[in-house]
This record gives sequence, structure tokens and C-alpha cells, in this order.
Amino acid sequence: MTIPTSPPVPGEHPLEDLSDEKLKTKRWYHDVLLVTGLVIVTVALFLAAFGEAIAPYDPTIPVGPPSSPPSAAHWFGTDTAGLDVFSRVISAPRIDVTLAVSAALLSGILGTFIGLMAGFYRGPLSALIMRISDVLQAFPVFILAMVLVALSGRNLTNLIFALTFLYTPIFIRLTRAEVMTQRERSYVEAARASGNSEWTIAVKHVLPNSLTPSLIQLSVTVGFGILLTAGLSFVGAGVRPPNPEWGLMIANSAPQIVLGEWWTSLFPGIAVSLTVVGFAALSNAIERRVATS
Amino acid sequence: MGRYVLKRGAIGLIQALGITIVVFFVIRALPADPVARLVGFNATEDVYAQAQASLGLDQSVWSQFVTYMSGLVRGDLGVSWVTGSSIFSEIRSALPVTLQLITLAFAVALLVSVPIGIATAKRPGGKLDKAVFGYGLFAGAQPEFWWGLLFIFIFYYTLGLAPAPLGEFAPSVSPPPEITGMSLVDSLITGNFAAFVDAAWHLWLPVMTLAFIVSGPIIKMTRQSMSRVLGSEFILYQQASGLPSSQVARSTTRASLPPVVTLAGILFGFLLGGAVLVEQVFAFNGLGSYSVRAVLNLDYPAIQGTVLIITIVSLLVYLVLDLLLAAIDPRVKN
Repeated sequence: MTIPTSPPVPGEHPLEDLSDEKLKTKRWYHDVLLVTGLVIVTVALFLAAFGEAIAPYDPTIPVGPPSSPPSAAHWFGTDTAGLDVFSRVISAPRIDVTLAVSAALLSGILGTFIGLMAGFYRGPLSALIMRISDVLQAFPVFILAMVLVALSGRNLTNLIFALTFLYTPIFIRLTRAEVMTQRERSYVEAARASGNSEWTIAVKHVLPNSLTPSLIQLSVTVGFGILLTAGLSFVGAGVRPPNPEWGLMIANSAPQIVLGEWWTSLFPGIAVSLTVVGFAALSNAIERRVATS
Repeated sequence: MGRYVLKRGAIGLIQALGITIVVFFVIRALPADPVARLVGFNATEDVYAQAQASLGLDQSVWSQFVTYMSGLVRGDLGVSWVTGSSIFSEIRSALPVTLQLITLAFAVALLVSVPIGIATAKRPGGKLDKAVFGYGLFAGAQPEFWWGLLFIFIFYYTLGLAPAPLGEFAPSVSPPPEITGMSLVDSLITGNFAAFVDAAWHLWLPVMTLAFIVSGPIIKMTRQSMSRVLGSEFILYQQASGLPSSQVARSTTRASLPPVVTLAGILFGFLLGGAVLVEQVFAFNGLGSYSVRAVLNLDYPAIQGTVLIITIVSLLVYLVLDLLLAAIDPRVKN
């Protein structure tokens, strides 16, 4: 589950043994958080592209004895259908990561643009947009996602649209808040005085200066998307079997865990957990760098 | 105060109405076919038409809407398309299961995280602080269903310290009659001690799973808020004036509470929907499991009912939260 927290206050970050001064003089590769995030994100993106190609077995057909524990032939063991768990775990990013990255990018672009408009041109329409996104954000995300995906048809496009719809309000809120402080700055006045149109000021001057919060949010949103996709698949409202997908793998192995078959759920779970942490760490590290630079 | 509550109540009512209307039309605009789902895709046209008529889906969307709303006004949430029983009574027995689960998880999380948050704020960079940072980084966004399964493997399968994840009571125990719908409360009221112990035995692991996930943000927030207050001038002034440290500690805690309470309220409202996956893992028949069934069965009245009830409950939580905040921080009142 992804828990909404209040926006972080610049300079107040959990790992404060790293003071701002220290962080400035530190080389980027000594920043544990940043390196962890970068490594995990790189691996995830690499597997999204090539996971299926480098997998030792076909992830969708039985290749070994069912329910066998990890061995030399099957590093992560096999599931009840005899599918190779390792091949499935490294093939899954093709769905999980691609989906989450697409949804994060789409909602980032859409939300930033709407946020820019709502913050720059204030009026009844902008107030209405904020009301709608308030209501959307107040409602339990998971249930809304389930309704949207299950009723519009469980396929990848619909999943991407549903996630985009759910995550856009976050970007609207972040960008709008930033735009509202930027539009009072003197450079805006200067641009206006030198005869730029309002549209040009908004898009050419205010937008580039208001992108930081959205860019920081982007990576952590990918993590949220992966989590939500896995959760939806877990309850049977997401990706369809026999596609290799982490949540689906955990769902299939849930009945086996009480019988002691741990490997079918442990590995996909670690994959989800690590990937989400990686994308969150990257966001966190970038944010700290921005705050101290 | 009374006027404030009334005003908030009125706004809440409008919001709930708005969400109900939106959900009603959105689920009908999406390309799902609940009739085919009910009668099967190979059903003859006659059977299909009959089922369609019995669900009222042959009517225009507007007349369906009028029918639904006139039911709502009388407090009637309609009848489930799948089970045929009243949505109100189904939710009436599912909601308390979820409320009990998340309230306990929440209490546990607060009792553990607030002291930890305070301790880490007092010694930033200490051992506990570093350990907690690692935990805080990942908790808050985690696959709780997987953690639930992992805990089941460890505590049930390996250590035998928890029951099989098969619901709220063991099959051998006769559950108490449904009074409040909360397993612990009902068995206490009826004096059924065996059922009470069994209910607690089945609750501890799901409660821990949820508490484990929500504790991260609470610790973070407590630490942040506490260190801000510790560095503030009024605390420095109190110390300089030679007030006893217990007095200073009390002021610090009180001044750092508001953000924590706000977050706690948000988390509670959020858990209403967030408990879905944990309920599924532990086979609890709460509102979460109910909503999954409703959605997968394309049971529109049940979906609408669940959404409405969750909205109302979370609005109530937010209202209580605001009143609580006003009580802690007198500045909020204006």
C-alpha cells in the first residue's frame, strides 16, 4: 500500500547525520541513498527491456517438476505448475516496470500541465479542478483502481490509463503550489514588462522553474505504480495469468505458503519490495541534492 | 463548535452525494457487461433480456439513477445482484470487521512509533535513528499482502505462534452472536471467553502486518515535528528560564502533536481502503474483501454501497480529526 504523507519540508530529511555542508562536498558516488536508488532503477529498467531475453527458461510454459525448491537447475525453484520462478521474476519487469513508468510519465506530463494552468490562471475553472483532485485524492486509491480496471477490462492499456488517472492529481497539486510562488517572482514581472504574452510567460518562463517538485515525484510514483499493479493482480483485478507479473505470482503462491512452499512468493515479493525502495530512494536522494544545492 | 460541526456535516453530505453520483455514472459508462457476467456468455437472448430486466438495466440510465436515489433517500442501498440480500445488511456485518482490524493496528502503530519518533528526535544520528531511517525509507510503500504471507510463513508455518490464516475464528470455536460485528467486542459482551481468546489469536498477525506498514510514516512525522519543536525558540526560552525538564518535555510533546495527529487521521481514512489486501490474505470478511467481491462480480449496487459507506466513514474520521486538532492547538479554532 502506498501511504500519502505530507510533502517533505526541504532540509528536513531523515538521514540528518549527513549535514547539508557534508553533502555538498561529498562526491555523488559516496551518497549511499543515490547509489542504491540508481543501481536498483538501472537493473529494473534493464530487466524491463531484456529480462525475458536473458531468462534461462520460457516464463510461461512448464519446464520442470512442479513445486520443487530452489536448486542448481532452478535457482528460485518452480511453482505448482512447474514454471521456473527465476525466469518469471526477471521477466516480470517487462509488465510491472513498463506499466508503472508509462503511467508515471503520462500523469507527470498531464498533471504538470494542468497544475501550471490552474496555478497561473486562477479562476473558477482552476478552483473546480482543485476540488475534483481533492475528492480524488481523498478516496481510497486501491478501491478506485480496482473499479476502474475491472470494469473497463483487464488489459495493459486500461491499467496504464487507470494509474495515470489516479496519479495525475498529485502532480497537479505539486506543480500548482510551485507555480503560485513562482508567478509572484520579479522575473515574471520583467518578462511581462518586456511584452511577452501571458501564455509565453507561463510556458517559457514559469514552467521550467516549476518542474522540480514533479521531477522529484516522478521516480517515487513509478514505485507506487508497481505496488498498485501488483496489488491489483493479487486480488484478481489486474494483469491476467499466465503473464509473468510479480503480484500474480504472489497470488498464485498464497495458498502454498501455509504448506511451507516459501520460494514461490518470497522471490517475487523481494523483487517488488526492492524495486519500490529503489525508486523511492532515487526520489529521496535527488530531493536532498536539490534542497542543498 | 456546534455550528462548525453542522457546517462540516453539510459539506460532507454534499461531497458524499457528489461521489455517489460520479460513481453511479462512471461504472455505467465503463464497458463492462454485468448481465453477461451473471447469466454466462452463452445465454440465449431471452434469458439475457430477462436478467437485464430484473436488474433494471433495460431502463435508461436516468431512470435507473432516479430509482437508486429515491432508494437512498429512504436509507435503502439496494439489493445485491449476486446474493440477492440487502446491501445495507451485508455492509453492516462487513464494516465492523474492518474497523476493528484497523483500529487495533492503528493503536499498536501509534503506541510503538510515537515513542520511537521522540527518542530518535532527541538523539539525531544515533544508532536507533539510523536503524529507523532504513525502516522508514521502505515502510509506507510496501506490498503489505506479501509481508502478510511472509509473516504467515514465519509465525504460523515455522514457529507455530499464529493460527492458519482462515478467518476470524477457528472452525472449532462457535462464534458469538453478531451484536456489534466486532469479534472481540461481541465475545466480551456475551461473556464467551473461549471465543474472545480465539478472536485475539486470529487477530494479532493481521494487526501486526498493518501496524508494521503504517508505522514508518508515523515515526518519520513524529521525529520531524519533534525536532522542529526542540530547535524552536520557545523551548529554548523555557529551558533558559529554568523550568523543570518534565515541564519542558510536556510542552515539547504537546507542540509537536498536531502534525502527527493530522497524519494519523489521514492514515486512518486511508487504511479503510488499504486493509483490502490484508483482509484478503487472512480471509477476513471485512469491507475490503466485500469490495473485491463486489468489483469482480460486477455487482453495481454493492460497489456503489461500499464507495458511499467508505466516503462517509472517512469524512467522519476527518471531522473528528479537526475537532481533535482544535483541542490540542488553540490557534486552529479561528
